[in-house]
Amino acid sequence: MRDYWLNKLFFDLQDPAKAAEYRAGRAQVLDRYTLKPEVRAAVEADDVGYLATLVNPYLLRFYFLVAGMPDDEFLRRIRATGGVNG
Amino acid sequence: MAELAGVYAASHGPLIIRKWAQVTPEHQQALNTAFAELGRRIKAARLDALVIISPDHWVNFSLAHLPSICVGVGEIHDGPNEPWMMQEFPHQTLPGHPQLAHHILETALESGFEPSVSHRMILDHGFCIPLLKAGIAPLPIVPVVFNDIEPPFPSVSRCYAWGEMLSRAIASMPGQLRVGVLGSGGLSHSIGEATMGLIEEDFDHECIDHFQRGDAQALCKFLTQRLPQVGNGASEIRNWVAAHGVAGGRGFELINYSAIPEVIVGCGFATWDLGKRT
Repeated sequence: MRDYWLNKLFFDLQDPAKAAEYRAGRAQVLDRYTLKPEVRAAVEADDVGYLATLVNPYLLRFYFLVAGMPDDEFLRRIRATGGVNG
Repeated sequence: MAELAGVYAASHGPLIIRKWAQVTPEHQQALNTAFAELGRRIKAARLDALVIISPDHWVNFSLAHLPSICVGVGEIHDGPNEPWMMQEFPHQTLPGHPQLAHHILETALESGFEPSVSHRMILDHGFCIPLLKAGIAPLPIVPVVFNDIEPPFPSVSRCYAWGEMLSRAIASMPGQLRVGVLGSGGLSHSIGEATMGLIEEDFDHECIDHFQRGDAQALCKFLTQRLPQVGNGASEIRNWVAAHGVAGGRGFELINYSAIPEVIVGCGFATWDLGKRT
């Protein structure tokens, strides 16, 4: 199942200017997206496993790159899901 | 009429550019040699235009609009917008070939395909890594996007049929034009999912065997069964299947296959011997 607004957020953050704004302060960017409370909480908590169930995996990988999570940490968390999220 | 002058396939992957310094010298050499050989063969074909089939990695399309197939018909296309790719790729724009693109589009519509259309496409790393590393930009390009990224995907057999249609379109294109086709992507890789980083070499070798055997029906059956079971990046093999269809399912020649963990892709490079077309 895809969450449109979560995918939209991750898609939009491919713009370097928007990514910089996001890194400077997530809340004001997140306020512009109609995210369900549990989805927003998962974004704020860097909950890789939960977000992986809602978003395209390429966008998920890209998002955590932009958000500043080290590659090793992202790999550890995504591999821990053990699921299929395509 | 135009002439089909070459059919090619090549892998791509962001880390080939973004983390090139971390690729071992042995693997750098394998990739450089393979891309150079691909470039040598493309240059030897003296192409007037190259049709490149690649996925869109979320630069043109989003969940708001996600075509299964899109043909770029514009006079000009934009180069990559990925910051790490922009640093390396020397062209901000690339020439299209609108006459060929429109002929392909019309042939597709007459053949039971209804592709989406773009008059100005952003060509991301899927298009531009082969162009850059093989040293063949700025060749006039007809970009064709296959949705290999987000389900539902075009069926493998339809991708093969698209290739057959493309061959007919090139053969019926008025004018003296030498046209090549490049399928970009694959082989196995896994992005943003639990198996991320896994390269499934056995699967890749089975794919290569199928391409070499030239039984298109068996290839399509194999991939239809296996693609849902392997890493998501292998979906891009659809672009190789289309290239195979262009070549009539015959003449596959592997240039190189190397599983390269540093770029997390089973990297394959191939051409098709068009003298063996049926």
